[in-house]
Amino acid sequence: MKQKKVLALLLAAVMLMGLLAGCGGTSGGSGSGSSGSSAPSSGGQDAGKPAAVELNVVTSYGGDDGHRKDYENAVKGYEEATGNKILDASATSNEEWKAKVLTDFETGTEPDVLFFFTNADAEPIVKAGKVVDIASIRAEYPDYGSNMRDSMLAVASDGKNYAVPSSGFWENMFVNTKVLADCGVAVPGPDYTWDQFLTDCQAIKDKGYTPIACSLFEVPHYWFEFCVMNNGTLANQLDLPASADDAAGQKWVAALNDIKDLYEKGFFPANTLTATDAETVQLFGDGEAAFLIDGSWKVTHFVDNYPEHLEEFAISYVPAKGERKASEAIGGISMGYFITKKAWDDPAKREAAVQFVEHMTSDEVMSTFVTTEVTALKNGASPSGLNALQQSAADANANITGVVGAVQDTVSSECKTDLFGNVQNVVTGAMTAEDAVNSAIALN
Amino acid sequence: MNSSSTLYKKKGPLAVFLIPAFAFLILYLYYPFLQNIVNSFSDITGLGTPAQGLNDPWWSNYAELFRDPHLRTALINTVLLTVCTVVFQVGIALILALLVDSIRVGAQAFRTLYFFPIVISATALGLMFNLIFLFNGGMLNQLLMNLGLISKNIDWKDADHFLPTMLTPVMWQYVGFYFVILVTGLNNISQDLYEAAALDGCVGLAKVRYITLPLLRNVLCTCLVLAITGALKVFDLPWVMFGAGMPQNRGWLTGTYMYHQTFNRGNVDYGSTIAMLIVVLGVVLSNVANRVFKPRNDL
Repeated sequence: MKQKKVLALLLAAVMLMGLLAGCGGTSGGSGSGSSGSSAPSSGGQDAGKPAAVELNVVTSYGGDDGHRKDYENAVKGYEEATGNKILDASATSNEEWKAKVLTDFETGTEPDVLFFFTNADAEPIVKAGKVVDIASIRAEYPDYGSNMRDSMLAVASDGKNYAVPSSGFWENMFVNTKVLADCGVAVPGPDYTWDQFLTDCQAIKDKGYTPIACSLFEVPHYWFEFCVMNNGTLANQLDLPASADDAAGQKWVAALNDIKDLYEKGFFPANTLTATDAETVQLFGDGEAAFLIDGSWKVTHFVDNYPEHLEEFAISYVPAKGERKASEAIGGISMGYFITKKAWDDPAKREAAVQFVEHMTSDEVMSTFVTTEVTALKNGASPSGLNALQQSAADANANITGVVGAVQDTVSSECKTDLFGNVQNVVTGAMTAEDAVNSAIALN
Repeated sequence: MNSSSTLYKKKGPLAVFLIPAFAFLILYLYYPFLQNIVNSFSDITGLGTPAQGLNDPWWSNYAELFRDPHLRTALINTVLLTVCTVVFQVGIALILALLVDSIRVGAQAFRTLYFFPIVISATALGLMFNLIFLFNGGMLNQLLMNLGLISKNIDWKDADHFLPTMLTPVMWQYVGFYFVILVTGLNNISQDLYEAAALDGCVGLAKVRYITLPLLRNVLCTCLVLAITGALKVFDLPWVMFGAGMPQNRGWLTGTYMYHQTFNRGNVDYGSTIAMLIVVLGVVLSNVANRVFKPRNDL
């Protein structure tokens, strides 16, 4: 009987240990399961060499990101060069990922180095003093980020720079040249006008194709950004409305009404209100739609999924009206590498974190990430072996006369979710554009 | 005998066994639940963001519940889902159970086949049904097109078709669950009763009406309570297929709407309030279901 009691107590103790195991983690890592403390490598260190350091790193180069391979290679290069170990907890970027990263900072489980958005999304960690500004780092490491143009460093609300920029992005018009040729429509040039675009769309529709591949349910923001620019200028693109009645508000209202006009003319896919972005992009890729506004990251998608048909795609220009020129596009550098205060204050990690960021943003490594994207490198990137689509993007970018950031990056998550969620209501007449703008602005 | 009774008299071992489970419940159920109540009165503008004090007025989220048209839609859809669950899931499961119970060969195979969807994750099922209902090249549209029943693709997720498109996979997934419970109930009915009834000329549907269903009442009641409470928790499959309220905010369920408010919009306090509503709704409906479908001990 005594044996049974002992066994029962043992089992209960094991259960309790199991339950409490999850509570005993230390503060390192973002889901990496690592202790995050600096630790010597597993033997073999020469007495004179500094101990190897384990760095917790979080980036958006996770999942099926187009640059995942480049990132892995770069990390491997750093580990081989320094002997340090990177505990990578990267994930795919979306609103949930952003929230998770910010939650990690709130709960004290932030990484040592973070690759994150440099816009309003980073404000909570900047205001909380959880990341170190570049000037402070340069006081000790003068060459930190010195290969970047300082004018292109993102400026936080306190006027300081925190992130060393990585590759940027552009948004522009992808065209399916095979569809255009079949419809007798010329590939748009940098002088493409809205009126010509409407005429072309009608011709494409009459031929039985879908003129514009876009899911208004999931990604109406691409068209919204350019339609706002079409109703204003590059200079006032980022002006935020206080209501639908002021100048900026009127721009937003006009933009929504332009999208509604395209919807009513039947230029979007028949299921644009229920389709996903993946479905409409496939429509474009399969040669059933002619135009697609998307970003530089989509080039990788086509390279991976349509390697035999890259000649059928080209990067063109979004049609312009008013004061805007078709050669003006959305773009910029929205992400960069932050060093957290936690890593900076840890004498064992400080240098390793600085070395890691310097490695990841070096001219050599950056050139593997940059093909046609905007870059802050003083020397520019030197990508090699561009394919047909990348070359087309490079050619189009060469004609770009102006670039501005996305206005959606300057508003709160709740505001943009509300605004873009209501696009489907505006185009179907269930809500006026004015009401949609007022509803969104009230949440900003 | 003596030593075993000593074990039960001593409360020490009892506590050792109970404390881990109790600690688990406090940590992962009661504490989050209480925190959720506090959150529903607070002003929280994003996940991971600390509360900026209480809302002004503190009950504003609860007042919003009555004004929010999307929540009204979600409640109506959830009630509709519950009704459909009772009628179709349990109804179809009952018919299938009766049919399978009446065959001599292959009953075990049918049990496995009907139960199979339960073991597939809802996310995988959602992706599979997305392909079936796909607008361009979807299985259903291709089938109807080849049969000459339609001349152009149907958008199965638009305002005219979304309800059956959303409800069918949910119904389909859990029919097997209730089927297995009902078949087990049927197996417990003594064959002597059927033989006696047959001697009195009670066969076919009359046998089902006067022998099977009355004796299956308690099992059916259990199924109905499970179906009603289960329907209130449906989230994953509709979320994978319909996302944020597709089409045009008509496809919300209470679960999907709560998730959207919390994770997509960052309106954590309002999401917490909706979660409270779901809890209250669940407690009330499950109590009502328990009272209405109370098992009888005299059967």
